[in-house]
Formats: sequence, structure tokens, C-alpha cells
Amino acid sequence: MSAVEVGTRLPSLTVTLRRADLVRYAGASGDFNPIHYSDRMASALGLPGVIAHGMLTMAEAARVVTDWIGDPARLVEYGVRFTKPVVVPDDDAGAEVAFGGTVVAVDNESGTAEVEIIAESGGQKVLGRARAIVRL
Amino acid sequence: MPIDESMVGRKYPAAEPYQVGREKIREFADAIGDSNPAYRGDDAVAPPTFAFPLGSRALESLLADPELGLRLDRIVHGAQKFSYVRPIKAGDEITATATITTVRKAGGVDVIIYETELATPEGELVATCTSTISHAAEQAG
Repeated sequence: MSAVEVGTRLPSLTVTLRRADLVRYAGASGDFNPIHYSDRMASALGLPGVIAHGMLTMAEAARVVTDWIGDPARLVEYGVRFTKPVVVPDDDAGAEVAFGGTVVAVDNESGTAEVEIIAESGGQKVLGRARAIVRL
Repeated sequence: MPIDESMVGRKYPAAEPYQVGREKIREFADAIGDSNPAYRGDDAVAPPTFAFPLGSRALESLLADPELGLRLDRIVHGAQKFSYVRPIKAGDEITATATITTVRKAGGVDVIIYETELATPEGELVATCTSTISHAAEQAG
């Protein structure tokens, strides 16, 4: 972690989300909102289809940072906006989400760095203002 | 009565503290596909976003307040932020208290921001979760 500077790129990560992953996250998180497993309920609310939990996308995006720093205890702050839902079709291919991160600020006094995370699916950004502050 | 600015400052504690167990942490880490060894074993810490389900226990009491008139099927989660004092770890007992900090109208929805403090029963703050949700006051027509 010695060579962290503005512009440092974090290793990228691509995740495939399938229906089974949403069911699994629903169980692990306790979020059983039916828009994350039922096409009927998702359509009734005007959604294009079953969508991934925003918090699942946020969890995957955090991995870009925690895989990089190794020790998750060094994450100080983490925030995102959910700009576009990730639609997860009921097929074997699922939905691919690509994550990347770049250091946008380094504060030598506090020993922290700020990382901007990019999350894209189907060529569109699914998270906005995704930022993490880590202790170096 | 629908939610309005006068409700800023209301506090909603979770019904009871949450007992964090290592197997629940592992289950959550598996569900997000994260093989980080920090999330396994006796000294396991929880993945950062595990704070959200703990905070959601306070959201349940917020949703249960009839004066707010909030319905889960009209809520869209717009933004989420976490500030960590330390990781949540196996063996922790965690209380959650949500405080409504902002209510504003934006088009046909109420934008509500609430902060959920996660702490130990002794009062040690562990993390703060800030959630922005929009709530459609009436059925979209």
C-alpha cells in the first residue's frame, strides 16, 4: 500500500448475478421484498423485471475496496447512490456487473485515501457517487 | 396522516439487540460471494454492508409507526452511506436506533433521510448508517 496516490487504480471485479444469488442474498440479509424474486410483483410495481437488491450491488462494489486493502477494518466510510436497478433475468446467463475503483484523494495527515468506485451493467452506470474512505 | 417535516427528530429503536454470530457472518459473506478470510472463523468480522440488515431492524419500527404512513411497497432506496467506528464482529450484541433527519417533498414523493446508529448495549457506537429513501405518497397513476 506504499505507492498509493491520486490516480492509483484498484483491481477490477466482474460479478454475475443470477436469480439464485438474489434468493440467497434475500435469505442472508432478511430482505424478502418480492421485487427481488417475483416477476409478477416486480411488474406490478412498474419495474422492467426482477431487480437485484441495491444493497447486494453495494456489497459487491465494496469488495473492490476490501480486496485491495485486505483488512476490512480499514474501511472508514462508504456510500453510494442507487442510480439504476440491475435487472436479473430468469436464465442461466444472469446479469453481469463490472466494478472498478480509482484513488481520487490522499490525505497524508490522517493517513486515509478516498476511492471512487464505478459500477456498470449493460453499459450503464448502476451506482452513482460511490465513494469509500480507507485507512492506509 | 402522511409523513411531514414535523416528524424530523423522531427516534425508532429496534425491538431488541441483535446477537452477531460467526455463522451468520459467514452466510452473509457467502451470499455476496466474498471469500475474504476476515469473515470466517472465531474472530470473524462482518462485511461492511452487514451493518444494513442490523439497521433494518430499526426501520421495521419506523415502518410500523401509523403516523408516518409508510409502506414498504412504495419505498425506493435512493442512497446509502456507512460510517464505521470499528467492524461488527462475531460475539457482538448490537442495538439499532433510527432517527429521521430529513423529510422533503420532491415531485410526487417524500424524500426521507434517516440515520441509524448501531451500538453495543453499553453505548459504544460501532457504525452509523445513513439511508435516503423516497416514498410515493399515492399510487402512481
